[in-house]
Parts: sequence; structure tokens; C-alpha cells
Amino acid sequence: MIALAIALSVVVLLLAVLVAGLLRSHADILKALHELGVGVGEPGTHNRDLAEPGGSDPADSVHVPLTMGPPLPGERNSTSAPTIAGVAPNGDAVAVNVAGGSPLTLLAFLSSGCATCAGFWSAFQQPDDLGLPAHTRLVVVTKGPEMEIPAEIAPHVRSGLSVVMSTDAWSDYEVPGSPFFVLVDGDSGRRIGEGVANHFRQVVELVRRAEADSRAFTIESKGRASSEGLDGPERELANDRELVAAGILPGDPSLYPSSLADVYGPDATGHNEETIRSASPGPRASSPQGLHSPQRVHTSPNQTGRPQPSQATVSARDIKAD
Amino acid sequence: MAILRAHGIEAPLPLGFEGRIFTRLSIGAEVPRPVAHFATFALPVEVGDFGGGAVNLMGASDIFAALFEYGPESVGRQLFARQGLPRSLAPTDFRPYVLRRGLGGQSGTQWFFTESGRPFTLYVVLGSHIQRSALVPRVNELIGNVAVSPPAQPSGLASAPLTTSTGAPWN
Repeated sequence: MIALAIALSVVVLLLAVLVAGLLRSHADILKALHELGVGVGEPGTHNRDLAEPGGSDPADSVHVPLTMGPPLPGERNSTSAPTIAGVAPNGDAVAVNVAGGSPLTLLAFLSSGCATCAGFWSAFQQPDDLGLPAHTRLVVVTKGPEMEIPAEIAPHVRSGLSVVMSTDAWSDYEVPGSPFFVLVDGDSGRRIGEGVANHFRQVVELVRRAEADSRAFTIESKGRASSEGLDGPERELANDRELVAAGILPGDPSLYPSSLADVYGPDATGHNEETIRSASPGPRASSPQGLHSPQRVHTSPNQTGRPQPSQATVSARDIKAD
Repeated sequence: MAILRAHGIEAPLPLGFEGRIFTRLSIGAEVPRPVAHFATFALPVEVGDFGGGAVNLMGASDIFAALFEYGPESVGRQLFARQGLPRSLAPTDFRPYVLRRGLGGQSGTQWFFTESGRPFTLYVVLGSHIQRSALVPRVNELIGNVAVSPPAQPSGLASAPLTTSTGAPWN
């Protein structure tokens, strides 16, 4: 028993020594940091006033400037579709307005050096045989002349193929690498699909599916106000009346679906998920404050002033179905 | 705002416009001159100098504009007496019969002028003559900011003062 007590005492003593050593080490580190001018209290400022005459001179401390780094980039806007402006390989100036200019625009971001791109360049030699849906405009976008050699792009350009050299476009569309494809719906002025592919037939399939989804959504989401030809404030007012008549007031939870089940019910499928992804307006809408607020969510205009479908549009469609 | 800049022509594009500034391939001894096309709709890859192949695709609210440069031998001729690109057009400047290709409902206007010592013609087509009051301000927004640089090697005619046959300055 006595031996056990002695052993415990020794252990406690050793632990006490260890803790004391750690505290001492910690104090040394804090002191060193303090002398470097780092830490709470900014010793280079008010601690200088509090310094004791016999203490270390704060003037001798090393000033470590604290600077703010660049702001973090905002959330990726995967729906905007800015105009592509650049030059053609022969030096001509070209600007393509993808929002509103054409029903569908397929942007093919290619480079002259990537091996996978070679297959696409080859396929584009006969633009009419690509198998794209009618009224789909194909625009090839390479980086600008400061990063691509125009002479290496020029041999790929055939009659009937639009090629724009624009590094800004790669930045605007946040292209991760080549090849990369973006499909823009001109009516809504939004990107409705994007991704990579190894063969152009995969791209054609992507375009067909996105076109079908977009068309189905547009047709189904057309409400009474739209079918009656109303627009602007009259359309907002008509939509307000329909919402109120259906018992949906500002702040109603149905205006803010948080899951697929909120929109489509418990039988939501993958197809519906794709539709919702296509319909997402990008920046989150603010909370409604009045009767007109849900309409802002309904038809938030894009840069071209055209109404964009949104998640809340699905809610309005459901109301009419009822 | 996208800016087109090539061949001594600079054009900031208002929202909803696209365009090109280009020269065609030379045929024989022909010296191709710059052409600028601007449109509020998707321009086909192949478009005639004055909108052939494009104006037939226009909707009622669409605009097509072409800026076509002539050779330096045209400088000083009566047709190009007007100095400066017209910066502000009026709805009354547009006529349904001022069209290279008469398409029902459309309306057009054409101006010949000399800008920075270079002879041009401006040709504008509106998709709807009835809507010209709403469309012309958009045209003015476009042409109001177009800039033309002097020719790289000014000819003797270009550097000479522009006068009429009677010696009076052209307006």
C-alpha cells in the first residue's frame, strides 16, 4: 500500500514537472511572438505606451505588416451567357451575342494543341453534317492570339464555321480546359448545359436532351398570363391574382422549395432533377416582401430583359394544374 | 460591353448587338476594303456586304447595319461630300423603298460620307417600318460610338482640303 502511494506520488510529481515545462515553453513562444509584433494587442501600437521602462523596447520589435489578400471569388455563375468578343484567325473582329441572337448556340472551346480537340476540329470541317438540331448555331472559341497562334487555328477554319479567338470568353465562361462545350438558350439568355466530351456525337446527344428539356419546361411553365399575351406589369398583376386565388401569399413555403419532393412530390425522378437544374436562375432570389415579390422570382429578367424561368415557375404551373 | 476593333474601325456594341469587322479575300487585282456588320440577331457565317443572306432572317424588332468602306479614289467625290458618320438618325430617315432587297415590312436608310479621310456608306435596315420609332434609338446607340481611324497611308486626295467644284467647303 505504501509502495503504491509512493509510486503515485512520483507519477504526479513527474506530471507536474511536465506541465510546468510545457507552460514555460508556451510562455517562451508567446514572448517571442510578442517581440515580433504578432499577437493580440498589436504591441507596435498601444503596447508601446504600456511598456515598462525596464522592459524590452517595443521600438526594437520587428513590424510584421498585416495585409488583406484579394477577395475570394464569388460563387460560380453557371447560367450567365455574356457576348463573346474577339478576333478571327485572320485578324477580323468578331462578336457573337449568344443571348437572344439564336435559339440555341453551342460553344465549343477548343485549342490547337490538345489531342482530343483534333477529333472535333476534324468533325467541324463539314459543319452541315454534324447532326445538330435545326437552328443550333455552332461557334468555336479558342483562346486569344496572345495564347494561341492564329496560324495554327487558321487551317481548321472552313467556310461556314464561326471561330472566335477570345481569352476573355474562356474566363467569362470559366472554362476548365479544352475541349469544353457550353449550350446557350437564346430565348432565356442562359446556359442550359455544359461539359466535356470525347466525341462529337456525345455533344449532339447533350444538345438534343437539353433542347428537349428546355422546350418541355417552357411549354409547361407557360401560364394563363403568358398565353393571354400579357407582359410586364400586367403579367405580374395577373400572376399575383392567380397566386392569391390559389391561397399562396407572400412567404408561402411552396415558393421556396428546398428539395425535389417539395416541387414534384415524393415520386421525383432523375429527369425532374435535370429539369430543375436547367431552370435554376443562378443567383438566389430575395425573400418576397409584397404581392409582387413572388413575380420577381417568377420572371427575373436577365441582361437582355427577357424573363427567365425559375423554380417558382414550377410552383405556378402546379397551381394551374390544380 | 463588347468592343469590336479591326481595320481602323472601333465599335462598342450596345447590349443585344453582335457584329463583325472584316475584309473579304482578294479576287484578282481587287483590293478588298473593310466591311462592318452589326445585328441584333444571329448573323450567318456568310453575309453579303449589304446584308444579303441576313436581312431575310430578321424579325420585326431586329436591326441590321452595314458600314462599307470604298477605295481612296472615292475621297473627294461628290457622293462622299458629307463629312462624318451620321451619329443620330431620325425615324423619318427610314423608308421602306430604301432597301437593297425589298422585303415586306422592312425599312432602310443609306448614307454616304467621309470619316477620317476614308469614304464609307452606312446602310441600316429595320425589321419593321412601323416600329421605327422604337428601333431608331437603338441604331443611334450603335452608330453614336463608332470610331474610325485615319488611313494608314493617307493619299494625296485624302490629305487635301475637301472643297466643291466652286471652291466652297463641303458641309
